[in-house]
Amino acid sequence: MANAETVDAVEVETRIAASPETVFDFFVDPDKMIQWMGRSVELDPRPGGGFRCDINDEAVASGSYVEVERPSRVVFTWGWNGEDSVTPPGSSTVEVLLAPDGDGTHLRLIHHDLPSAESAEKHGHGWRHYLDRLETAAIGGDPGTDKFG
Amino acid sequence: MASVATKQSEVDLVARAIAEPRRRQILTLVRERELSAGEIAANFEVSRPAVSQHLTVLREAGLLSERRRGTSRLYRARPEGLAGLRDFMDEFWTDRLERLRLAAELEQQRRDKGGKRRDG
Repeated sequence: MANAETVDAVEVETRIAASPETVFDFFVDPDKMIQWMGRSVELDPRPGGGFRCDINDEAVASGSYVEVERPSRVVFTWGWNGEDSVTPPGSSTVEVLLAPDGDGTHLRLIHHDLPSAESAEKHGHGWRHYLDRLETAAIGGDPGTDKFG
Repeated sequence: MASVATKQSEVDLVARAIAEPRRRQILTLVRERELSAGEIAANFEVSRPAVSQHLTVLREAGLLSERRRGTSRLYRARPEGLAGLRDFMDEFWTDRLERLRLAAELEQQRRDKGGKRRDG
């Protein structure tokens, strides 16, 4: 049953009325990152440097920077912490591309190497755990600290 | 947003469906071949109604396809039922990037004003 569709990547695009430099800083400056993701974050934005993003009590994402090229590109590995996580830290990769678009920036975010249906079948337990964390993460974030929600 | 709520409940259905070890065994059994409810039940020591109940949960979560052949029903795994995970991650990043957009645009306005006021 394995086929190309089960090897998962997610791609999201947006246009932002800010320069690529301004946008880029939101991926490498902890004070800026917490404005859109995580309630506390630790970032060491250089290739090989780690990051940890505490989304809420239940979900902590971490990984390390792979490429840091201000202002056009930042790549980091991504995973959810936890003993039986199907996507442990380092298991998937997030690639962010920033291109000038008039006065603003065209942003593409590609999350590569997400668990496939195939791997999910083999790791039902871990997958459930992963889903729980995702669910918590996606609906989470402390509303009190989210000034833009 | 209704679509977010719907997606969450879909993911929840899938998560609950595969949380039960026997249901994961059923999925494995019918991953490569189609089997009838009776053939599936023969692999387990639990009662036939209990197996039927598991099949219903899996089917409602979109993880099993069901078709009739004569008097029996045949089941096969639907790995695409797990696509909800990808949709969910998509939702996660879409939501985060919307927040990023708002934050970055405010920051840009601040920088532009600051630049004029402080003369660079």
